[in-house]
Formats: sequence, C-alpha cells, structure tokens
Amino acid sequence: MDRTGNLRSYPSIKKDILMTAAAPAKRLRKFGSKAVPYLLIAPVVIYYIFFWIRPVLITVVKSFQTAAGAFTFQNYVMVLTDPNFMPALRNTAIIVVFSVTLEFLGALFLALLINRKFFGSSFFLFIAMIPMALPAVAVGAMWLTGFTAHGWINSLLYYVGIIAEGAKIYWLAGSEWKLLALIIVIDAWQVIPSVMIILLAGLQNIPEETIEAGYVFGGNYTTVLRKITVPLLGPTIQTAIILRLISAIQIWLVIVLLVGFSRMPVLVERIVYYHEEVPALDISPLMASGYTIIVSVIVSLAALLYLRVSGAFGGKKEAS
Amino acid sequence: MAKKIKKTIKLSKLISKTIFYMLIVTLAIAIILPAFFLVSLSFLSTREAYQYPLPLLPSMSTEYSLTHGNRGYLISVYDKFDEEYQTVLDTSELEKITVYMKNQLGTPYTIPEIEEQIAKLESGAEDPVYFSASKNIFLNYISFFQISRDAVPALLRSFQIAGLTILVSLTIGGMAGYAFARYIFPGRDALKFSVLFVRMFPGVAIALPMVIILADMGFYDKPVGLVLVYSVGSIALTIWITASIFMGIPESLEEAAQVFGATKFQTFLRVTFPLALPGLAAAAMYAFLGAWNETVSAIILTQFNPTFPVVVYQALLGAVGNVNLAAAGGLVMAIPSLVFTFFIRKYIQQMWGGVTI
Repeated sequence: MDRTGNLRSYPSIKKDILMTAAAPAKRLRKFGSKAVPYLLIAPVVIYYIFFWIRPVLITVVKSFQTAAGAFTFQNYVMVLTDPNFMPALRNTAIIVVFSVTLEFLGALFLALLINRKFFGSSFFLFIAMIPMALPAVAVGAMWLTGFTAHGWINSLLYYVGIIAEGAKIYWLAGSEWKLLALIIVIDAWQVIPSVMIILLAGLQNIPEETIEAGYVFGGNYTTVLRKITVPLLGPTIQTAIILRLISAIQIWLVIVLLVGFSRMPVLVERIVYYHEEVPALDISPLMASGYTIIVSVIVSLAALLYLRVSGAFGGKKEAS
Repeated sequence: MAKKIKKTIKLSKLISKTIFYMLIVTLAIAIILPAFFLVSLSFLSTREAYQYPLPLLPSMSTEYSLTHGNRGYLISVYDKFDEEYQTVLDTSELEKITVYMKNQLGTPYTIPEIEEQIAKLESGAEDPVYFSASKNIFLNYISFFQISRDAVPALLRSFQIAGLTILVSLTIGGMAGYAFARYIFPGRDALKFSVLFVRMFPGVAIALPMVIILADMGFYDKPVGLVLVYSVGSIALTIWITASIFMGIPESLEEAAQVFGATKFQTFLRVTFPLALPGLAAAAMYAFLGAWNETVSAIILTQFNPTFPVVVYQALLGAVGNVNLAAAGGLVMAIPSLVFTFFIRKYIQQMWGGVTI
C-alpha cells in the first residue's frame, strides 16, 4: 500500500508544475504514461491468446464434435466408458492423496527435527534439492535400474545382509497395490527433501519471541506446535501442498519406465499411450484429447483452489 | 557438585549433537544413494552391469587369462565376486576378441596388443598368460552417443530449444513483470490471476492441440514449435520471478535517477536493470530447467527430430540390452540440471514457500 501512495503522490506534484505549461503536451504525456503498462503487457496477452487460449479452445470444441463436425457427447461417453478410465482415475487419485499426505507429514517431521542452524547446513540444503532438480528421465533411469530383479536395490540389500546370496526380490511383479506403493515411495524420495527445506525456511522465519511467548504462557511442545508454529507456517504449507498436488496428478514417466504402458494406467499415461503407442486407431485422437481435458479440468480445479486460498482473487492478496 | 552438573550438561549436549548429525548424515545418504548408484552404473562395463549382485564401484581394469582352447584361444575374465577366472570366449579370430573386450568389458585392446600376448603363450614361456587391460571409463558415454544416432543432434537441439525459450520468456515475461511491479492499472488483478493460473496449467494439455496448430504453421517436429509450447509456462514463471525482483528494487532509486534528469528508459537501463541482473539470471536458469527437463510435450510434438530427454526416454524404454548406456544418457541429462539448480538454489526456496533464507 505504501508503494501505491508514493506512486500517486509523485506525479501529482509534477502535475502541478506542468499545469501552467502547455496543456496538449501534458495530455499527451499523461496518455503516454498510462499506456506504458499496457504496452509492456501486450506481448504476453497476445502470446497467451495465440498459444494458450487458442489451443485450449480447440481441444474443448473438438471434444464436442464428431469426425464430420456435428455436435456430440459421444466422445466423452467413449472416454468415460473406456475400461482403463476408472483404473486410471483411481490410480491417479491414490498416488495424489497418499504421496502428498506422506510427503507433507514426513517433510514437516524432518523440518521440525532439523530446525536449527548447523555446520554444513548450506551443503546439506543443496543435497536435499538434488532429487527435485533431476529430470524425470534421469529419475526414471535411477529406479528402473534399481527395481529390476538384478538391480542395485537387491544388490544393496544383499551387501547389507538383508537378502541371501542368489535371492532376489521381484519388486515389479505382483499386484497393482505393490506398484502404487513403489511409485509413492519413489515420489516421496524425490519430494520430501525439497518440501523439507521449504518448511525449514518457513520455520526459521518465525520470530523466536513468538515461540517463546507460547511457552511462557504455559504451552507445551505440542500446543505450541499446533497453535503457533503450524498456523504461522500456513501460507508456506499451502503453497507447497498445492504445487505438489498439481505435479502429482501428472506423474507418468517413471511408471511407464518401470512397468510399461497399460499395466498401471494413470491419466497422463493414457494421453501418451493413445497419442504415441496406438496412434493409428480411429479412436486414438479422441481418447487422447478426452483424457487431456480430464487432466486439465482436475489440475485447473486444484490451481483455482490454490489461487483461492492464497488470496489471489481480488484484493485479498495483501492480507495474506 | 556444580562442576559435575556442568559436566553432565556438556555430555548430554555432545550426545544430542551427535544424534543430530547422525540424522543429517542418514538423510543425506538416503537422498544421495539412488543417485550414487546411477552414477556408478553409468561407469560399469556391460558384463559388470549384468552381474548380480552389481558391483558397488566400477572396476578400473580387467584381469584376463589366455590359453589354448578347442577352437583357438580361450579367454577368461577374473570375476571379483566369485574370485575365479570365468571362460568367456573360445575363438581363433583376434578381432572377435578385441570386440568382446571393448563392448563387454570396456577395455579397448588393439589386435597387435593381443598378438603380443599370444606370442607369449606360443613361446611356451607362460601358459596360461595372465594380463590386465585398463578400462576406458567413459566408454559408456561414448557408446551412448554412437549407438543412438539421434543423441548428438538431439542434445544440440535441446540446448537450442532451452536457449530460445530463455530468450522468449525473458523478453516477453520480463516486460510484463516490470509492469506488474511498477504500475497500478485496470485489469492488473485479472492478469495476475491468469498468469498464476497458466503457470499451473498442465503443459501436456497445450501440447496435444498444438500438434495441429504447429502443423499449420509448419513448426511441427521443429525446435521452434517446442519453444512456443515451453514458453507458455515459462513466461508465466518469469513474470512471477521478475515482478518480485523489480518490487525488491526500491523505487526511490529510480526516482532519484529521474530527479537528476534521466528519462524513464535511461533509468531502467542504468539503474533498475543492473540491480535486477542476478534475479534475471535466475529467471533464465529457471526457463532453462523447464525446457531442458520437459519430456511429455517433446514426445508428443516431435517425430524425427526428438529432444535429448526423448532420446534418453526411448533408450530407457528399450533398455533390456544396455542399462549401463541408458544410465549414462540419464546422467548426461542430469548434469546441466544440477549445475543450474546449484546456482539458483536460493531462488527455488523462495519460489516454493514465498520465503527468504
């Protein structure tokens, strides 16, 4: 608010001086300065109209059209009755719910444990950032070579004496639940360290007096945590959770690398499957765009939720 | 008495400190371990990569033994795990031997060198002849680029795409970021909202319809097409980063420059821009990471001209034959990401939590 005050008061002084000078020049200058922000944002607006709104609209319009161009709901019926649709939706939901919960609780626990400055902390923080920095294909390579029967995970278990010589654990065989658990663990490995540093940063921004005051007024560790620390971390936690939620919805590559297509369908995997694996089928383009719309709607809802809680709607932003 | 208490306090402090560091070290190991194995695997020879259990560290050389066999020369390789020589080849063709030594064990050996060893055997001085060949540790990396013929052009293409994405998103996004930071104008909130929304919108949802749009423009399967797609998300991110950077530069500095007679443009060029430079560099690295790491849009929008992640992805999908090569590819992919992440680690923390360290 301070900034707006300054911004407005400064030109007003200038205006008084200019008032006596030539009026048309003043008007021109005023128009000029008013146009500046619009000139600056014009390229973005144009870019987004062409390369964001247009493709999204095309997808939406096409999803209601038959091949001949007539209006139809058939495409949606087809996607919704796809035998892989419910499994894909279910798997995605399970991954999102479990991995985000697990990751958040794990990260908070670790952040509370570590919450202090220590020797080597900046190096440790960089290490904690590595998993998130790795490209999806590198992460895929890591776990693909790990979870195969003769991979490094079994080798490691052998070296530390957990499994006997010659014995192997077949990680990738078996039920879908086992695979889901593996995916959640992989995602946890990738995400917990980063969320942990974020929460750590948030924790270190809480003034010590606030926490001390909690203890002075008779709070024990848990009450202080519940009533002071976590609420103060609020905005940080919200941002982290929802951004994670959005990327968890889009997990697919590591699954495909581990078990291939169609073995454990998830929503984005279906898009790639129909577009890349069976592109020749008549229904493939429709299925691919159907799944695209479903993913977009779900992610958009999560994004709107985020924008709502972060107060980006209207002028609430300043309050948070 | 007081001394004793002091001692106990000191001891308990020491214990808690030790436990704390044990926790930190355990965590660091848990984070690093999978990455360590990927690195190690990328240096293993093919023979090592298919041993079980896998060697923890790549060998630097291989011990061979050479003797007469039924069909010519019998080559055996020393197995460190079983602690014995294992016969791998029985042939009279010297070329076959060198190819095997190079492809399976990563130890390039020339035919004259083999002949030298054979001469020792034939002279009867030694039987079997033991010799050791040192490993070319980077052979997997070389082979990865030789075997997948797309790899080198794809690597260049990926750098080109990332560079152009930086250019597009910094110019377009940087301008808008400045507008957001310095001006109050009607429609500002709506725009800010849509920028935040675009930032979270799934890239794959744009990639699929863009197939048609890019085909119309003649950009399908071309780097420019991917730049256009990647810039959508990366412009939004750049606006977000640059807006916060420009907001962090006190306006009083700009006003001071203007009081001394600088125009708005001069002010920007001489005062604001140099101050914003580190932040802009971070935004550029962000754009790089986004474009470099992206896979799904690249899979959808390329056909004969894949990007590097797509090449690695394809190598991994068919990696039954050469996991160690695929690991090398994955590592090449990871190195630029790690380097840039190292540079922008502080900004990443701000980005996620909206907090400063």
